[in-house]
Amino acid sequence: MATEMMLSGCAASAQAAKMAQVEVICSYPIRPYSAIMMELSKMVANGELDAEFVHGEGEHAQLSVVLGAAAAGARALTGSSGVGVTYAFETYSPIAGGRIPLQMMIADRALDPPGDFGSEHTDAMSCRDQGWLMGWAETPQEAFDNCLINYRVGEDHRVLLPQFVCQDGYFVSHITGKVMLPDQNQVDEFLPPYNLPHPLDPKHPVSHGPQIRPDQGTIMDMQRAQAMLDAPAVIKEVIDDYNRIFGRNYSPFVEEYMTEDAEIAFFIMGAHTMTARHAVKHLRDQGVKIGLVKLRFVRPWPTQDVADALSKFKAVGVVETSTSYGGAMRGGNLLHEVRASLYDLPQRPLTTSFMAGLGGEMVPLKEFYYMADILSKAVKDGKTKKTVYWVGFEAED
Amino acid sequence: MFNIPKEKEVPLGCVTPAPVTEQPMMITGNWREYRPVLEPEKCDLCMNCVVFCPDACFQLDEAGEMVVLNEKYCKGCNICINECATDALTKAYELDFDDGVVRLEKPF
Amino acid sequence: MTVAVKTQNLPPIKLIRNVPKEEYYVPGHRTCAGCGPALQYKLVAKAAGPNTIFLGPTGCMYVANASYLCTPYTVPWMHTQITNGGAVASGIEAAYKVLLRKGKRTGELPNIIVMAGDGGTVDIGLQAMSAMMYRAHDALFICYDNEAYTNTGIQTSPTTPYGANTTFTPPGPAIPEGKTLFPKDPTQLVIGGHPAVKYVATASVAYPVDLINKVRKALNVQGPTFLHIHAPCPKGWKFDEAKTVEIARLAIETGMWNMFEWENGEYRYQFKPKKYKPVREYMKLQGRFAHLSEAHIAKQQAFVDAKLKTHGIRVEAPVPTPQAH
Repeated sequence: MATEMMLSGCAASAQAAKMAQVEVICSYPIRPYSAIMMELSKMVANGELDAEFVHGEGEHAQLSVVLGAAAAGARALTGSSGVGVTYAFETYSPIAGGRIPLQMMIADRALDPPGDFGSEHTDAMSCRDQGWLMGWAETPQEAFDNCLINYRVGEDHRVLLPQFVCQDGYFVSHITGKVMLPDQNQVDEFLPPYNLPHPLDPKHPVSHGPQIRPDQGTIMDMQRAQAMLDAPAVIKEVIDDYNRIFGRNYSPFVEEYMTEDAEIAFFIMGAHTMTARHAVKHLRDQGVKIGLVKLRFVRPWPTQDVADALSKFKAVGVVETSTSYGGAMRGGNLLHEVRASLYDLPQRPLTTSFMAGLGGEMVPLKEFYYMADILSKAVKDGKTKKTVYWVGFEAED
Repeated sequence: MFNIPKEKEVPLGCVTPAPVTEQPMMITGNWREYRPVLEPEKCDLCMNCVVFCPDACFQLDEAGEMVVLNEKYCKGCNICINECATDALTKAYELDFDDGVVRLEKPF
Repeated sequence: MTVAVKTQNLPPIKLIRNVPKEEYYVPGHRTCAGCGPALQYKLVAKAAGPNTIFLGPTGCMYVANASYLCTPYTVPWMHTQITNGGAVASGIEAAYKVLLRKGKRTGELPNIIVMAGDGGTVDIGLQAMSAMMYRAHDALFICYDNEAYTNTGIQTSPTTPYGANTTFTPPGPAIPEGKTLFPKDPTQLVIGGHPAVKYVATASVAYPVDLINKVRKALNVQGPTFLHIHAPCPKGWKFDEAKTVEIARLAIETGMWNMFEWENGEYRYQFKPKKYKPVREYMKLQGRFAHLSEAHIAKQQAFVDAKLKTHGIRVEAPVPTPQAH
């Protein structure tokens, strides 16, 4: 029987890892993701989870330890936040290119300087080119679900990719929400045991990672690109199965809220989606034709699904909780990918981006109303005044 | 979908089969300038050449009675000649041999 | 939670004739002719046998052995970054512990051996090596020491000797000796500071029987062990490639390389010459020292003399460094 508990995102993530029966965990303390490791270490210590809990000497080491473990044939888990995520950067491409499907839980955090504990998506977003699956959770429930979903997708032999399973630091990682915990048999039905095609085993010797010739470089890259082309179909299959077994209602890539006859919409991911939903509902009550599209996977970026979802609007505000200094839009990075998704459409909505929630700030309702106002004005004017708004820090538009 | 011909594919995750007795994708016999030459009557089977060859190119023959050089891989470093306990090994210019390998082939 | 899973007892050998015949590091690798590291790799692989997993941090024993899309290892092997040999090995060991415990694998815990160069051991790889020693993983960390970052074209590393010419320490009028710093001592970094480590030893390609026995002893020990193996590099040190083993022998005879085992807190020195040859005899055979003056050679001799004085007892003072010029 499923049991309902009030859990923080970190606690829910630990529960998911336990039910996924992870076998090797590598920890290193950094806030806010550490809470996941503290929960897991208790589970290992009191015998609830039969796993090796390895104290890594740093985040780069964490990824290296779980790489070895996963290559040897064990389901492996690690995680980090902020500068820990970027410290491990060297390891991300070798792991993805080696097709080792381990999981890294990221409770995101602003990067230094100067050591802000608050949530920003920039840490994980900086790694999005490395070839991992990546997506954000809006709630502790989704954090729990995404762990299991990502293991199943990543370990599927048609995909074989590692996964960044992300949640907003503090807003999801440390605030409790309702989580339905399934039965272990449901999880066992959903998630088969870890099965890497060529593990390190003296009974079946292989060489992992010899040099390739220069003329093979492009081919290797193409094969890695192919995995990202193959992943969406598997994600759809897996989400269907997840919904069936656990009674959820996820759409694989984008989720629409009150978009039926909307003229303007927010495009958003992560914790602040929850506030945005409330803002949309209130604005609707006042007669504003507004909706919301939530993104569940940053990699593979669901180009077609984004285009299909957003094309019906007249103006879209991309809510960015990350930075891309010097980028084409001089703001965050979601807008770049949204515009790329919309480029070929015969009719494109106006798009602009709203930098919100940076440094771990809340995004209160009134800021969403402000954003909606700008979008409505843009529709009236037939154009956007700017492509990036630093919400809460600008003079009235 | 990419159209990569089968023979050009890089193995998944860059995982390649392990060799068993030799690695024929890296034949190194065409590197050498000098080939070690054995005078079997002088050899007392001290096994220095077998043990000290970085490329495992000297091995005892099937009968275990004499050491034999693996000419396919010998790089001609001459450690074996230097370490031979009985001067049973000397070096000879590779190109003097009828079957001497020419170092002008492409290396791989 | 951990279970004692290693029951193997790899036996020591007595003579060169007893060196095992089976090869686990087979012909067909792109190492230089006369490569010292390749020679020690072959011997280590023989000593360890088939129930082994090697880790290859980036370096000569990765790149030269793994070009292209092929390797000479008949046992499982994985490339690691130069930074993390110790960490990846730790993960493999942890995985095997849990897989054996759960019955998903059967048999002995495999020998897990990190084959790291000097850079991958005491420079960029130091953190991961130390952590593996600290966390008591049942694995062997081997430093094959060819005293430079050789794969990238011979650059100085923390084990490069004083006075060596490398492409980052070229001699010139402003810096006549080339390398001005004295080297780190990898074994001293491990000994004494890592409570889980029970066995540390040095070895050399000059003494293959001793090398094989030390590898086997280290692998029989349950817990982390460390071997520091001298592996001369003809290209980096600039000597005739036929002399690799001879140079290794001379290093020991001059005191530039010391052979010992450290076990249960005690040092046992081996192959100590009755009378040490002057270091000049070792250095004059190598092009990397050709630029040195008498004063520099004297400094090298003084360094070695100080090191030799402490034979048999723990080094208490840091390794001596002469005054800056």
